Amino acid sequence: MKIFSRSIFALLIATAFLLSNSLNTVAQQEEPPAPATPRSVHFPTPVEKYLANGLRVIAVERGGSSIVTAMMLIKTGGEVDPPTLAGLADMTAGLIAKGSRKRSAPQIAEAIEALGGSLETGARWDESFAKVDVMTSNLASAIEILSDVVRNPVFSQAELSRLRQQTLDDLTLALSEPGILADFVAARVVYGSGPYGHRSSGTPETISRINRNHVAQMHARYYRPDNAILIIAGDLNSDLAFEIAEKNFAGWRKPASPLPQPVSRGIGKEVGDSQRVVVVDMDHAGQAAVMVSRAALSRTDPDYFRGIVANSVLGGGYSARLNQEIRIKRGLSYGAGSFLDFRRGAGPFIATTQTKNESGAIVAGIIIEELDRLSTAAIPDEELATRKAALIGTFARSLETTAGLAAQVGHLAIYGLGLDEINNYIRSVQSVTPGEIQTLAKNKLSARSAHIVIVGDAKAFLPELKKRFARVEVIREHELDLNRANLRRARGHSGRMRNR
Amino acid sequence: MLRVFKSAVLLILIVVFTIAANSQSKVPGIKYQERTLSNGLKVYTVENHSNPTVAIQVWYKVGSKDDPEGRSGFAHLFEHMMFKSTRNMPAEMLDRLTEDVGGFNNAFTTDDVTVYFEAVPSNYLETLLWAEADRMGSLNVDEENFKSEREVVKEEFRQNYLTPPYGQLELLIQKKSFTVHPYRRPGIGSIEDLDAATLADVKEFHRTYYRPDNATLIVVGDFDQKQLDAWIDKYFGKISKPDTPLPRVQIKEPERTAERRYVDSGEHAPLPAIALTYLVPPAASKDVHSLKIAEAILSRGDSSRLYTKLIYEKQLAQSADALGDYREDPAIFIFRVTLSSGKSLEEAESVLLSEIEKLRASPIGIVELAKARNQVVTEELLQRQTNTGKALALGEAAVLFGDASRVNKDIDAMMAVTANDIKNVMRRYFAESNRVVIHFLPKPGMREGRPGIVPVATVDAGAIGGGHIR
Repeated sequence: MKIFSRSIFALLIATAFLLSNSLNTVAQQEEPPAPATPRSVHFPTPVEKYLANGLRVIAVERGGSSIVTAMMLIKTGGEVDPPTLAGLADMTAGLIAKGSRKRSAPQIAEAIEALGGSLETGARWDESFAKVDVMTSNLASAIEILSDVVRNPVFSQAELSRLRQQTLDDLTLALSEPGILADFVAARVVYGSGPYGHRSSGTPETISRINRNHVAQMHARYYRPDNAILIIAGDLNSDLAFEIAEKNFAGWRKPASPLPQPVSRGIGKEVGDSQRVVVVDMDHAGQAAVMVSRAALSRTDPDYFRGIVANSVLGGGYSARLNQEIRIKRGLSYGAGSFLDFRRGAGPFIATTQTKNESGAIVAGIIIEELDRLSTAAIPDEELATRKAALIGTFARSLETTAGLAAQVGHLAIYGLGLDEINNYIRSVQSVTPGEIQTLAKNKLSARSAHIVIVGDAKAFLPELKKRFARVEVIREHELDLNRANLRRARGHSGRMRNR
Repeated sequence: MLRVFKSAVLLILIVVFTIAANSQSKVPGIKYQERTLSNGLKVYTVENHSNPTVAIQVWYKVGSKDDPEGRSGFAHLFEHMMFKSTRNMPAEMLDRLTEDVGGFNNAFTTDDVTVYFEAVPSNYLETLLWAEADRMGSLNVDEENFKSEREVVKEEFRQNYLTPPYGQLELLIQKKSFTVHPYRRPGIGSIEDLDAATLADVKEFHRTYYRPDNATLIVVGDFDQKQLDAWIDKYFGKISKPDTPLPRVQIKEPERTAERRYVDSGEHAPLPAIALTYLVPPAASKDVHSLKIAEAILSRGDSSRLYTKLIYEKQLAQSADALGDYREDPAIFIFRVTLSSGKSLEEAESVLLSEIEKLRASPIGIVELAKARNQVVTEELLQRQTNTGKALALGEAAVLFGDASRVNKDIDAMMAVTANDIKNVMRRYFAESNRVVIHFLPKPGMREGRPGIVPVATVDAGAIGGGHIR
C-alpha cells in the first residue's frame, strides 16, 4: 500500500494500523483500544555564532527545566594517541580539571560544586570534552570555570602522578570484568596496531609512560578556539548564552600555527578480512562475555541511516533480533544487543552479550547467524516498521534532557554535519528500505569477516566452540598483552613473536 | 598563601550571594491530582504538555522483603513474569504496545515496592491503561515461559553479582546488615531458591499482592484530564478488591548494641574493599532530610569530605561513597571504599572512621551547607526533566513515604536542614555500636598475571607503578 503524505505522522498512523491488524490475528477475549491520532513533535532548533578567534558557539533553547548543560568540545580525541601512549587524550582531558593558573584542583572542584554542578572531562574518539550541568541561574559562573580549565590548565607533576595512579587502579578494576576485557581484545582483533586498535582509556602499560610533556603538548596542539565547539543547551536565553561565551572566550588566542590536520578517513581500516575466533581464558569468570565485531561505517558515510536502521533490527533494543533469540526465546542472557560506533573513520560494529560459561559457544553462533541473516533475507515490512519506531522513540527520548540535547548537537557539530539534521532524523529513518539494508549488510556488515571474541572460563565452552568454528585461538589471561596486535606477551627467550 | 585566602573569601561571597539569589529559584512544584477508586486503587496524575508523550507507572506495595520463606528472589522473579501472558495479552505484548510504537517499558523491584513503568507517544495512553489493568487483573504464565524467564533471572544474578569484582560484596552488605528482618535476603535471591520456585507460586503471589488496594497508578504527561479519568474508571474500576487480608512484614530489626565485623574474599576482586553499614530510620522519618544532606557533604563530588581525604590527600582509595538506602522499615546507610593498590586496609578504615567522627564532633560551615543545598536542588531538577523522572519522584513520595505532598515538601525540608541538624543525626546514628564492618579481600594468589596488574616503571620518581596486592 503506497502512502502519500506530507506528514511523518501519517506513517505513524499506518504503523498503528498495521499493529492493530496484526493483533486481530491472535485469538483473544478483548482487544486493546486502538491509539488516537498522533500529536506532532517539535525538536528545538540550535542557533550558532563564531567568535573572531574561530570558536564555534551553539545555543539550544528549551525551557521548563531550570537546568542548562554547558559543554566544550575539542575536535580531537583518542585517535591521535601515539600507540605507545594510548590514553593520552583522555589523561589530558582528565588533567585540565586538576589545576589551572587561577585555581588548584581542590579549588576547581569546590568552585563548580558550590554551584551545585559537577565537572566531567574526558576524551573519546574524535572529541575531548569538558561538561557541566547547572541550574540556569549559575550558568555564568559555570562557564567562567569551564573557560579557566580549558584555557589555562597547569598540569602539575603531583596531579599527573595522582591521576596516573587513579587511572591504573581504574584499569585494574575494569580489566577484571570479562565484558570490558572483551572490548579491549576486540579492538586489537579488528584493527590490529592501527589507531583504532587501542581503547581511548589506554592500557596500564601506556598510561604508565605518559609524562607531563606529552600532556602539555597535546593541550597546546589541540586545545585552541578554532578546534573547539561550545554548546550551551537547556533552559536559557540564547542571547545571554552568546554574551557569556563572548565574555569568557573572546580572549582565547588562536595560535598562529595552522590547525592540525584531522586524521584521515582511512584510519578505520580493518586488518585482514577473514573471521578470527579469539578466546581469552579467564578461569574464574562468573560468565562468558561474547563479542562479535568488525569495522563498519564512518559518521559521514552515506549509508549512515541505513546502518542505524539495520542495527535497530539486529540488536538495537529489547525486541531486536539478538535479544529475542538469546534472551527471550532461549533464556541464555540478561540482555544481548549491538551498536555501531561511527567515527571519523570506519568505527566498529559490536554485538555483545554475557552468558553462563557453558553457553558461550552457542551464543556466539546465534550472533553470527543473526548478523548473516541481514545479508541473506529482506526484513519483513511489519518488523521494519516497528524497529524504525523504536529507533525514532529512542532518539526523541535522548532529546528530553539538556545533556542529551547537548550530546546530539555536539555529535553533529564534531562531524561537520548540519545542525538541522535533528529535524531530518525521522524522515531519514523512515525512508530506509529493506533492499537497502540487505545491500548494506552484504557489502559492509558481512558476518564472514566479523570476528568473535569470548572472555570466560574456556573449559566450559571450548569444545562446543571448536565444533562450530574451524580455527580458534586461545590465550590465557596472564599471557594477554593488550598492547600488541597479536595480543600475546612476548616470550623472553624465544625470539620475536611475529605480529599477525 | 594570600592568593588562596583571597579566593576563599571570594568563594564565600559568591556562594552566599548565590544562595540569596537562589532562594526564590527552588525546584518548581509538581502539580498533581489525586483520587482513590472504590476498589482501593490510588491514582496520581500530572498534566504536562511540553512534549507529546506520557509516562504511565504502576507501583505495587510488594518487594523482596515479602519474598516467601525459602523463596528469596521471588518478588523480582515475579516481576519478570508480569511481562508474560495475561488473559488478553500474549507474552511480550507490552513490548508491542510500547517499544514497537516508539516508547519504552521496564520495571524494577526493591525491598519494598515493585514498579512497572513505561513512556509512550501520548496517543497510546488509553492502550497502556488497558494493558496495565489487564495484567493487574490477570496473569496467565505457562510452564515454558516460566522456565525460560527464570533462566534469564539466573543470568541477571550472574551478570550483576557473580561476575563483577564487587558483586559478592553487595550481597554480603545485605546479608550481614540485618539479623532478623527479611531485608537480609538480597532481592536477587539465590540460584537454589530460584530453582525451587514453581508456577503455582507465581499464581499465588499474583493473587496475594497484585490487587488494586495494594497499587498506585501514576500518569504524567500529555493527556486530557476528563478523558484520562474516564479511561481509568473504565479499565481499572472493574478490578475487584479481594476480601482476603494483605500480608505485611511485621518483623522488627532490633537496634544494634555492638559493632560487628566480617571478613570475606571475592572471586574476582583485584583490590581490597571496605563496607560500613549503619542502621538508620525509615524513609518516612524526618531525620532522612538531614541524612541526605550528610550524604552530599560526605561524598558528592570531588570537594566532598571522603573524596578530599581518602582519594585526594591520602591517596588511599580508588573510590569512596556514602549513600543512604532508605526503605519502608529501618534500613541502612552504607559507606563503600575500594582501596588503591598497595594501600593498607587498616589505614583506610581508620581514616574513614575519623571523617565520620569529624561530622559527629563539629557542625559544618556555611559554605559546605550552601554547596550541599545547591547539589540537592540540581539533582532534583535533573531528575525531573522528564515525565518518567517526575512520575518516579511522585511514586516515591506517595508509596514509600505514604504522602504524595512530600514530592514538593521534602525539598523545602532539605533546604531547611541546619548544620546542627546534621551534627545531631551523625551523633545519633553513626556510633560505633551501630556499625557493621565488612572487609572484602582479593582471593589469595589471584593477582598473578592479571592484565591490569603489571609492575611497570614510571617516568617520574616517587610514583607508584602497577599494583601489588597484599
